[in-house]
This record gives sequence, C-alpha cells and structure tokens, in this order.
Amino acid sequence: MADSSNFDPLSTALDRRLNELFREDEPAPATPAAEKPKSSPLAELKKIVLSIDWEITPEALDSFSDQVRLLKGVYQGDKVIAVFLQVLGSLGQYIKSSRSKVHPSTFNVLNSVFARLDEIVSTPKMPPATRRKLLQAEMDAYQGLRAKITQRRTAEPAAKPTVAIDTAVRTQAPASGPVTPEMLARAVAELKEFIRTEMNALRQLVKVAARRE
Amino acid sequence: MAFINLKSKIIQVKIVYYGPGRGGKTTNLEYIYRKFHQRIKSEMVTVKTHGDRTLFFDFLPFDIGVINGYQIKIQLYTVPGQVKYNATRRLVLRGVDGIVFVADAMAVRREKNIQSLKNLQENLASYKKNLQTIPWVIQYNKMDLVEQGIPIMAVELLEHDLNRQLKRPSFAASALKGTNVVATLKKIISLTVASIRKELL
Repeated sequence: MADSSNFDPLSTALDRRLNELFREDEPAPATPAAEKPKSSPLAELKKIVLSIDWEITPEALDSFSDQVRLLKGVYQGDKVIAVFLQVLGSLGQYIKSSRSKVHPSTFNVLNSVFARLDEIVSTPKMPPATRRKLLQAEMDAYQGLRAKITQRRTAEPAAKPTVAIDTAVRTQAPASGPVTPEMLARAVAELKEFIRTEMNALRQLVKVAARRE
Repeated sequence: MAFINLKSKIIQVKIVYYGPGRGGKTTNLEYIYRKFHQRIKSEMVTVKTHGDRTLFFDFLPFDIGVINGYQIKIQLYTVPGQVKYNATRRLVLRGVDGIVFVADAMAVRREKNIQSLKNLQENLASYKKNLQTIPWVIQYNKMDLVEQGIPIMAVELLEHDLNRQLKRPSFAASALKGTNVVATLKKIISLTVASIRKELL
C-alpha cells in the first residue's frame, strides 16, 4: 500500500488540513461534558463499571473491588454514599463469584446504582430527603435482584444441578468428583447465609444513615 | 469501497478501530472526541444492542473539509473486542476503507492480539478484502502501563508478532494519555484517502 503520494497536491492539502484540525500544541477548548469525568471522584469507578458492562474480566472485577474499597475510605463519613458503595461491593463480589452464571438483571442494577451514586456525589447540595429517596429506590432494586437470584438458585438445582451451581462453589468441589446433592445444598445454604448477612449489614447502614440525616 | 458522490463531490471514508477486547479502541475515540470535540463539531455515538448489555459499536463522524474540490467526511467506528461478538465485528467491517489495529501491549495479552489479528483477516476475507491491500496501521497501546510496573511487551516483540510480514506503519501509544492517538489517526486517514484516490483514478 502506498505512501508514495505524499508529495502530490491532494496529500499535501490533506496533511495540512489534518494538522490544523488535530493540532495538539494548544489545549483544546474545554467542554463541560469532557471535563466532568476527570473532575469526578467516581471517574475511575465509572470507567471500570463501563468496562464490566463491555466485558467481564478478572482484572476489571479486581479493579472494581479495589476502587470501591478506596472510595469507602474517602466517603466513610457519608453514610448514604457508604451504603451505595456497600451495594456496589456486594454486586461486584456476586459477579466475580458467578461470572457466566450471573443473573442478567445484575448489570442493570449495577449501572443504576452507580448512576444514582454518581448523581449524589456530583450534587453536593442535594437535600438529605432526596438522597435517602434515591438510596431507597436502589435498595429496592437490589433486594428485587437478590430475590430473583435466590429464586433461580433454589429452582435450578432440582432441574439441572450441575449447571445451576456457581463457579465459585464449583471450584471448591473436588476436581474430579461428581457434584453431590449434599454439596449443592451446602452451597445454596452458604449463599443464602452470605446474602442474609449482607442484607442485614445494609439494613443497619440505612437505619444509621436515616437517623443521622 | 468508500461512498463517493461524484456529483456533489463528497467522499465518505469509513475507518474501523479493530483489536482485542479492552485493548483501548474506545479510549482512542474518546480521546479524539474529548480533545477535539469543538473543532470537529461532532458527537460521539455509542450504540447498544436492544435488551442486551453489550456495546454494539462506537461511532464518531466528522468532516475534514474540502480538499481539492472534494468534501471529505470521516467515520470512525470501533468493534466490540470480545471473541463471542464476531457477527457484530463482521457487520461493522462492511464497507471499511481503512483499519487501525489496536494491539494491547500488556504481556498477558500477547495471544489475544494474535488471535484478534487473525480474526480480522478472516472477517475481511468474507468481504473479499485482505490485509495486503487494505490501508491499515497498528497501534501498540497501553505503553504507559510500564510506569506502573505492569509487564509490557517490547515494540520489537509486538512487531515480530503482528507486523513482521506486512510492515505497516506502527505507533507505540497510550490512548488514555493521548500519546500517538492523533498520529495514528492522521496516518490512517492519509493512507485511506490516498488509497481511495488511487482506486478512483
């Protein structure tokens, strides 16, 4: 392929035009849309949420957990934001443990929780009642998702036991042995216990947040 | 083949950013959009499939103005990088005039780069095109990660893996920081317009 037309008038004119259009020696005029993600403390998390929406990779999920942990430290004094981050952390953990078996609604909930959190963080003067309302709406969505996951996990073992078991649980099973009903039951019980613990912690945080605001 | 309207003297050029998943294709377009948004007077569009979380493609159209009597319109596309979305990738490649292959310089992505380039060749073949004749350049992205201690492949190794036969123009880049994003873009536009012109003559 040719680079030989460098000296013809069209190429010269084109190069000149491209140099004008894409000159980098001066800062491009700032646009609010372009600056917002950079200035937001959630910019990195947003990037990771979008990455997960694009492709679920162990790297993205690890970055997600790290970023949530970091933000928990930053916002430890703000209970509403802390609850949002707790929910995001739980969703990340669930996606990581379930991978391809993850419930399809999870990504809608994840995106929605993040969008509301972003809204709260980028609106420092938002009235406390509005913040609580947004949080409650996302908590309802999260609980709805939890119910769907539990329903699916309890329904599927009877029909297709080897498919229903999630990746994290499967890795705990002996590599060569079959998955027994006892192992399945134990896995489901562990999962239920995990969700119950998470939800109790979240409820406590919501209560504390409501009292303080 | 580019869309060319000889009557109204408009040439529409389609350039596709191709490469493995999470290699930085979208980041390239985002940088161009963010940096030159007001100059190119355009909007970046991200298209999602219905009822599906998967991004379909990103699209950034802009005019570069009248060159030698022809108004040249550029359309930049990205494809979803994941292996399972090959049908989408093939669809986006329809009518492509020029390609930027965005390779991921992280050492752990070596195999994925090679697979993706092979996949590009296969998909081009379905449109009776090939890498020997179509204008394309390679960008070795994420070079900045070396600063964070992440193992990065040397340019020589990347060249050996991906560019030893065809020897296309290549750029060591960081789409996140903008390093060589514009150089890559300028090069592919120049090569593609030159190629279209050659076909026209």
